[in-house]
Amino acid sequence: MTRRTGILTLLLTTTTAAHATPDDVLVMARNLDAISTFDPAQIGEVVTNEMIMNTCDALVDTDPENEAGVVPRLAQSWEVSEDGLKITFQLAEDATFPSGNPVTAEDVAWSMSRVLQLGFGNSATLTEYGFTAEGAAESFVAAGPHTFEMNLDKPYPEALILQAVAANRVAVTLDRETVMAEEVEGDMGNQFLTTNTACVGPYALRQWSAGDVVVLEANEGYHGEAPAIPRWIIRHVPEAGAQRLLLEQGDIDVARDLGAEDLLDMQDAEGLRVEQTPKHQLFYMGFDSGQERFADPRVREAFKYLFDYAALADSVMSQSGIPRNSVVPIGAVGALDEAEGQPFSLDVEEARRLLEEAGYGDGFEARLFIGNSSPYSAPIAQHVQANAAQVGIDLSIERMADAQLFSAFRGRDFDTVMLSWSTSVPHAHGMLSRHAVNPDNADEANLTMYPTWRASWFDEEFNARVEEALFEEDEARQMELYAQLQRDHMERGPFAYLFQILDTAGVSEEVTAWPWNAFRVYYDDVTK
Amino acid sequence: MATASVVAQTPGARLRGGLLSGAKTAGSVAVTVFGLLALTFFIGRMLPLDPVLAILGDDASQEAYDRLYVQLGLDRPLVVQFATYVRDALTLDFGRSLTSGRPVIEDIARVFPATLELATLAMILGTAIGVPLGVVAAARKGTWVDQTARVVGLIGYSAPNFWLGLMGLVLFYASLGWVGAPGRIDVVYQWEIEERSGLYLLDSAIAGQWDVFADVLSRIVLPASILAYGALAYISRMTRSFMLEQLEQEYVTAARAKGASRARVVWRHAFPNIAVQLVTVLALSYAFLLEGAVLTETVFAWPGFGRYLTVALLRSDMNAVLGCVLLIGLTFIALNLLSDLFYRAFDPRTR
Repeated sequence: MTRRTGILTLLLTTTTAAHATPDDVLVMARNLDAISTFDPAQIGEVVTNEMIMNTCDALVDTDPENEAGVVPRLAQSWEVSEDGLKITFQLAEDATFPSGNPVTAEDVAWSMSRVLQLGFGNSATLTEYGFTAEGAAESFVAAGPHTFEMNLDKPYPEALILQAVAANRVAVTLDRETVMAEEVEGDMGNQFLTTNTACVGPYALRQWSAGDVVVLEANEGYHGEAPAIPRWIIRHVPEAGAQRLLLEQGDIDVARDLGAEDLLDMQDAEGLRVEQTPKHQLFYMGFDSGQERFADPRVREAFKYLFDYAALADSVMSQSGIPRNSVVPIGAVGALDEAEGQPFSLDVEEARRLLEEAGYGDGFEARLFIGNSSPYSAPIAQHVQANAAQVGIDLSIERMADAQLFSAFRGRDFDTVMLSWSTSVPHAHGMLSRHAVNPDNADEANLTMYPTWRASWFDEEFNARVEEALFEEDEARQMELYAQLQRDHMERGPFAYLFQILDTAGVSEEVTAWPWNAFRVYYDDVTK
Repeated sequence: MATASVVAQTPGARLRGGLLSGAKTAGSVAVTVFGLLALTFFIGRMLPLDPVLAILGDDASQEAYDRLYVQLGLDRPLVVQFATYVRDALTLDFGRSLTSGRPVIEDIARVFPATLELATLAMILGTAIGVPLGVVAAARKGTWVDQTARVVGLIGYSAPNFWLGLMGLVLFYASLGWVGAPGRIDVVYQWEIEERSGLYLLDSAIAGQWDVFADVLSRIVLPASILAYGALAYISRMTRSFMLEQLEQEYVTAARAKGASRARVVWRHAFPNIAVQLVTVLALSYAFLLEGAVLTETVFAWPGFGRYLTVALLRSDMNAVLGCVLLIGLTFIALNLLSDLFYRAFDPRTR
């Protein structure tokens, strides 16, 4: 416990909850700095993703109780053709946008094509499954007013397409007429959607005051069940200590960015509880395999023995993450279980042996780039720096803005790097398709969306095996293929996965249900 | 010499002198602003931050990256980019912020009043307490009053605002309930307040919304007091130092010898003579407060300028950074000009 939080804890023992929020309003404190747009084609971070998925229906939704499954949302049912190349969705017939326009299959097709045409990072979610801006008209077809067809280039597993595409923000349906009326210089309404929503969902965005507050209100004309709480006020409170005070005083119902010490203290606090769920986000260390020393898998493997995962989990990562060496996070279809997905532990002698075997018994010097946004990057970097020094590796840590870190990683201008990767696909393929596959390792290929390419790591065999597993029709065999891929990837892969990140929240006892999973909170099902 | 002096006093000469002085000031401001624009632009371009990635996200394809790179004009020669930047800046067009998605000028118009209100209240409190404290400490040098003022100043200097803020919240908000929660205004009032100037205290008072006024006041009083504490520590120490210098002058001894009371000597004779120096100190204090106290704004969830600039920096939002840096520069220039006016008012030698 730090001195600051120690004093805070001591003083807080004398304070009592003095206020209460109204019954029909849920007040949540969160750091809202990351919000920069409400355009589903552009949103790239979790805070806004959660809000947009509560304000805008995608075709289907991840099941709140089983994130590997999907449930109907705008699409009430769906059917896959025998050849597996077409999924036909039947949309809710009574759905209307807040503008009064009916929701049609045309809107769905246009919205999904728009993601490809705008080309923001989210378009990769579609291009990964063969969709292209040029072929969008054939891929996304309005077969009737409420019948939408998705045509695939390959017979991908149904569950994967539903999870990866149909439940994703790229399948959010926008009010085409309203959005295009606000088009500026061919931006397809991107500027308008920066501060507005034009879609159908349980809530509607009433206000976003940057750096201050987001207000969501129940959408009265929603085709689905009305939300239990009519209004959500999400206040920007960047400081964890202030969030805790507000929660303790009853001025808010939920605090989303509490520190580890706050969460530990809160576990025994009267009238409060801590909610926790693992996210599909892995914190990992990457190596530039374009350099001879890191091209040797034994050197990369040696690093995996230089982390004391258990000690870090009890200290730096307490309440923030759980040890995970597998490339597939817990909760995804095909993931190794907790024990098998975490085979490494601190073993300096084993690391030394591997380095000697690889011809680096005398060690070497390398830079380690880390970002400035996560609180655990620096202490974990210092931890591995100290352990690496024991085997002769001199790691010099360079901390920088995240954008600078991404730029260096994408530009292949690094030695080692430490950062996180999230996937919105609760399926082994979601991670393997980016972290084990590299279609073309040439510099001029510029496949910057593949971390494997950034790390100059290329393995033809892995490319083929990921493809084989994806199209394996026998489910049991498919699971075995994924398991073996994870085992081999842990041994030879380009990265050292360290922790699976947890999502945590301090919740008032007034809140009786807090349904969430790795991807988001289901605001419409929250009760108080 | 006498003739020249008489000529300089004629109305025409005074007008010419005034015009010349005004032209010099305008020229100086223009050169400073241009220098500021050049500095902010080239530092922005030299930093290893990628504005394209900041917009598109880490996951974007190279094609999308290349397309936006051209759209943003980053493929054009640096001189052309700078000329465009200067042209846009002169019309207050800094582009759109990546942080908020809105035009930077709109963001500044929203966050600057929040900081202006906080800084002004802090400045009023800091001056109202700091100046008398400094004067009294000097007048009673070496006594317990002076020692107390010194300790108060020392704590103000050394205690981090972040820590003071958190402790202040624990004590005055959580334990005693004397002040409002972090945040500028209760969300209930967020839509009720009739915004005119963006200064909530002023706006709610003008509109006669006294319940809103009370809420806003209960929330601003603690962060303003904490900022005021830092300011008063500086102001009181400087005031004490200026006053000690004056109190050692012969005219003070003469005034006392003539039978003037100690209070009269201090406040009517010595104090006016530190006005020029004090104006400089106050202007500097105010300028620093207007830059935004990012830590105080963070602890108190205050949607102000300092936090906006910091977040923009961390997110490589160079449009917002450049706009903010330019505004800070202009603030310093404006306060300098204002100080010059006060100098003229207080010191006839500078006219």
